[in-house]
Amino acid sequence: MIHLSETASRRPKISLWLAGLLSVMMIAMVALPSVWPAQFSALNALKIDTDPENMLAADEPVRVLHNTQKKAFSLYDMIVVGVVNEDHPQGVFNQRTLTDIHALAAFAQDIAWQDKDGKTQGVISVDLMGPSTVDNIETGGAGVVKFEWLMKTPPANDVQALNVRDKAMNLPLLNGTIVSEDGKAVALYIPITSKNISYKVVQKLKTKIAEFNGQDTYHVTGLPVAQDTFGIEMFVQMAISAPMAMVLIFLLMWYFFKKASLVVSPMIVAMVSVITTMGLLVMTGNTIHIMSSMIPIFIMPIAVLDAIHILSDFYDKYPQYKDRKQTIIHVMKELSAPMLFTTLTTAVGFASLALTPIPPVQVFGIFVAIGVVLAWFFTITLVPAYIMLMKEESFAGFGLDQNKGEETSLMGKVLGGVGRFTYARSKLIMLMVLILGGTAWVGITKISINDNPVKWFAPNHEIRVADRALNERFAGTYMAYLMLSSEADTRSLEEFSQSLTQDMRANIMGPLHDMADSVADLLTQSQNRQALIDLLITETEMRMDTVSDEDWDAWDDALTWMGNQLASGETFKDPDVLKYMGGLQDYLQTTGLVGKSNSLSDVVKTVHRSLFQGEASAYRIPDSRAAIAETLITYQNSHRPQDLWHFVTPDYKKTNMWLQLKTGDNRDMTALIEKVDQYFQANPAPHGITHDWFGLTYINVIWQDKMVSGMAKAFIGSFIIVLLMMVFLFRSLWWGLLAMVPLTFTIGMIYGLIGWVGKDYDMPVAVLSSLSLGLAVDYAIHFLARSREMKEKFPDWKSTTKEVFGEPARAITRNVIVVGVGFMPLLLAPLLPYKTVGVFISAILILAGVASLTILPALIQIFERFLFKAQTKKDLI
Amino acid sequence: MKNLLKLTLLLSAVWAMPAYAADTKNVMEIVKQANHVSYYKADDGRAKVNMRIIDAQGRERVREFVILRKDDDETDGKQKFYVYFNKPADVKKMVFMVAKNLDRDDDRWLYLPALDLVKRIAASDERTSFVGSDFFYEDVSGRGVNEDIHELLETDDKYYIVKSTPKDPQNVEFTTYKSWIHKSTYLPIKTEYYDAQGETLRSYTALKVEMVGEHPTVIASRMENHETGGKTLMNYSSVKYDIGLPSNIFTERYLRKVPRKYIR
Repeated sequence: MIHLSETASRRPKISLWLAGLLSVMMIAMVALPSVWPAQFSALNALKIDTDPENMLAADEPVRVLHNTQKKAFSLYDMIVVGVVNEDHPQGVFNQRTLTDIHALAAFAQDIAWQDKDGKTQGVISVDLMGPSTVDNIETGGAGVVKFEWLMKTPPANDVQALNVRDKAMNLPLLNGTIVSEDGKAVALYIPITSKNISYKVVQKLKTKIAEFNGQDTYHVTGLPVAQDTFGIEMFVQMAISAPMAMVLIFLLMWYFFKKASLVVSPMIVAMVSVITTMGLLVMTGNTIHIMSSMIPIFIMPIAVLDAIHILSDFYDKYPQYKDRKQTIIHVMKELSAPMLFTTLTTAVGFASLALTPIPPVQVFGIFVAIGVVLAWFFTITLVPAYIMLMKEESFAGFGLDQNKGEETSLMGKVLGGVGRFTYARSKLIMLMVLILGGTAWVGITKISINDNPVKWFAPNHEIRVADRALNERFAGTYMAYLMLSSEADTRSLEEFSQSLTQDMRANIMGPLHDMADSVADLLTQSQNRQALIDLLITETEMRMDTVSDEDWDAWDDALTWMGNQLASGETFKDPDVLKYMGGLQDYLQTTGLVGKSNSLSDVVKTVHRSLFQGEASAYRIPDSRAAIAETLITYQNSHRPQDLWHFVTPDYKKTNMWLQLKTGDNRDMTALIEKVDQYFQANPAPHGITHDWFGLTYINVIWQDKMVSGMAKAFIGSFIIVLLMMVFLFRSLWWGLLAMVPLTFTIGMIYGLIGWVGKDYDMPVAVLSSLSLGLAVDYAIHFLARSREMKEKFPDWKSTTKEVFGEPARAITRNVIVVGVGFMPLLLAPLLPYKTVGVFISAILILAGVASLTILPALIQIFERFLFKAQTKKDLI
Repeated sequence: MKNLLKLTLLLSAVWAMPAYAADTKNVMEIVKQANHVSYYKADDGRAKVNMRIIDAQGRERVREFVILRKDDDETDGKQKFYVYFNKPADVKKMVFMVAKNLDRDDDRWLYLPALDLVKRIAASDERTSFVGSDFFYEDVSGRGVNEDIHELLETDDKYYIVKSTPKDPQNVEFTTYKSWIHKSTYLPIKTEYYDAQGETLRSYTALKVEMVGEHPTVIASRMENHETGGKTLMNYSSVKYDIGLPSNIFTERYLRKVPRKYIR
């Protein structure tokens, strides 16, 4: 390592040129394929990924299921546009507003374009749900059932507008979904071909909305909109926070070392490290995701840490040597081991994130680890090289004034006081630690695990405003899908045909007896039940051509009987099943977790009611399969027959309940999952029906679960590795354990605080534990290494304390301040996870610094004899 | 298109009428003739229809019904339809009956045997799905020739290509449609419906034409819905004309009591 530094100092110009060249190359490797993708197709271009779904790997079973079921039920991601009018007594149900809404829906239906692969992208116009695009099915008086567009043309006056409202509120599938529960607002559900076009579609919608000049408010929301907006906010974060961090760090260092030209060197280290790491990230084909977009701001403060130690020591020692080269050699000898170890522990802390099952977190951890190691490499080469390039004369008057002494500065005085206090009041400190630790433990037990991607936006962000406005008025903008399926009839084809033959022989219908013998023969030509029954029917029909008119009816009944043999597989035409679903839906409503549920059962009941004069008592499931089949085929005589297939597959083996939730909090979804499990336990479903979930709200719960358990693993893993490294570094188990105390205390305190304050344990909070571990241990390493080294020169710990709280404590304090402040610009980022990370990482690092400077000396004081007894000269590093 | 080509060859073979004879006809005559051969052949008729509804994912549903038709008179005006369902088995015996009017909306009835209900269907328009297929109700019963303004776009050696624009655009989902009317048989071989952007919404194709007695008859057709990606195939069998259907079959009484003689 010292060799590296020496090499770099011998050829300082070349070293700096090489670093510059490396940066330019990295930038080129990313820029070329991004700007000219065709010419540089061999290189990986910059790819942005804003999809929280990608928190899980693409082949994760829950995602595979989600995509299969979305296809099976022809479901798409939806943009929700809510229209609210606070001025008109009828809300939006006035002639003007409905005219605008009509125009907006028509406009939305025409949004389509060809992407560069020639695929049509845009709005799925047939599935758009709004007053003008859905059907009203109602009774048209005695003996008449009516199908009409709910609002084919805009209303001519406010009375007609109210009429639209009344019709919609009478239809359970529309009430609370298209019309708000108070009957004053309207929502459009705009399905789109893929999530990543939602920003473009929303922009188009907004231009159209801008043409309207009423008093209406148009709220645009939906998970896809939220997700697509991340991309933009991510760049804002990178564009603001990272440069801000650089400026702040520069100013702080300038203040500490009073020499602007010198502190440029850590800045160069930080820049080269960030550029190289991000370059590697893009070149290796990784995407810029909400996690990886934070890499620059993580590397930036960490990259300058080692440089601060070097400069700090250099600043203190230069007046002794009055020679750059001599000073550098001294400094590097003193610091090489602690710097290497702090770098490795930090890298291990981040790399442990690779143990989580969340790909973006893995990428984040691995690349920050790479960046940290790169930063170390550039620090030990470029900083000495840079110093060598500066003129010796420019150092005149530089450094700690030995006469005045840094001890007289404010920082020096405070640290001196702390040092004395830790010696005199060590037991008091430990008592405080125990009390605080106990309190923190209670807080940790109070932690509530929860997340919600929409809440990643600040409360006054338009997405959050829309979210609140719509969920107050409608049944909910968060979609969860509960799929029920059944393989009730598991008989093999042979078993089926055997029982078919027996049933036919046993039946009182003569034609069935006649045909029973053909079954075995037809079985040989059939591959499944459908084919077998089809063949049987064809054969029967051939026989029927020759029978007399008198016998024909009996044969026709036999045909019907045969056709119905397939019905046993059509689980979701069974009255008992549909009634069970209705019961489940009633139960869901009582949980308070579901705004509204929509299912096949509602479709059947609504159509049934409209067939029976619209009477409330007719809002029920009819008692036979045939009656249900008739309501369903009636429904399919509408303008939108395909709507049925959002609720059931055409083979009626799988059904989909569409649940609208008012919150997207994982906590609520998790509670709902449990409630539904309990319901199925307490009320066994007919035909062995099983249930499963899909939809984005459910996916979020799954990745959160994986994150929480994965983080625990990563934390324990990195804790053990760092502990082993400490034991190795200090050649002592006890010193190793000692090094772990401050960070353990700090992390405990922070999570205790989260519990007490009631802040949700969400994605950023989960990530913090293991990444702060590697950083927080740095202070302990420096403190203990320097303490042990200095103890050699003094008879006891008391006299050593004074020295330790000199230069080493100042370097640590400078580091605490730089890193603590360096992460603060994250508070300027528009997305809340960034702010959370900013606040907590700053808090963790500052607290870890304080803990290192108080708990460690207190413990050393208490266990002085024990700790120094085992230490012999050769253990020194 | 390949099917269309085959079909054209077939048509020219079975119906070797000189194609150029009609070139001078005006567009209204063409459209009326096309309407006649599509919906008013002979005095009455019957066919068994097998309908396969195939969605964008290739999932298939089958309907099978017998369709009976009788014209009120020779004016290509009022007529009656009786559609009796055999499949799927759970809607067997369901009947759909239509009294077609020219001056006002058609009267439509649905008999639902399991619910024991006869319902008249009142729809705001005739562009609703026919029992969940990609055919609209109006495709089955026929669209009145006077509802559109017709324009002869082009005449090639086989087809009159007619563009039709609705007089009342509010009642339909399309902006215009184009028909390829075969010059000798007057059967529309292809019809495409377009939206305001000129995108094709749905397209109809006659897949197979056969002579039934003296009547060239479409016995296989397809309707594609380009918006949903679904399609519906209709196959006609046991097609007969002039079978002497009594008009009392087309009354409410016969909804509940199948006219077995004509259905079997």
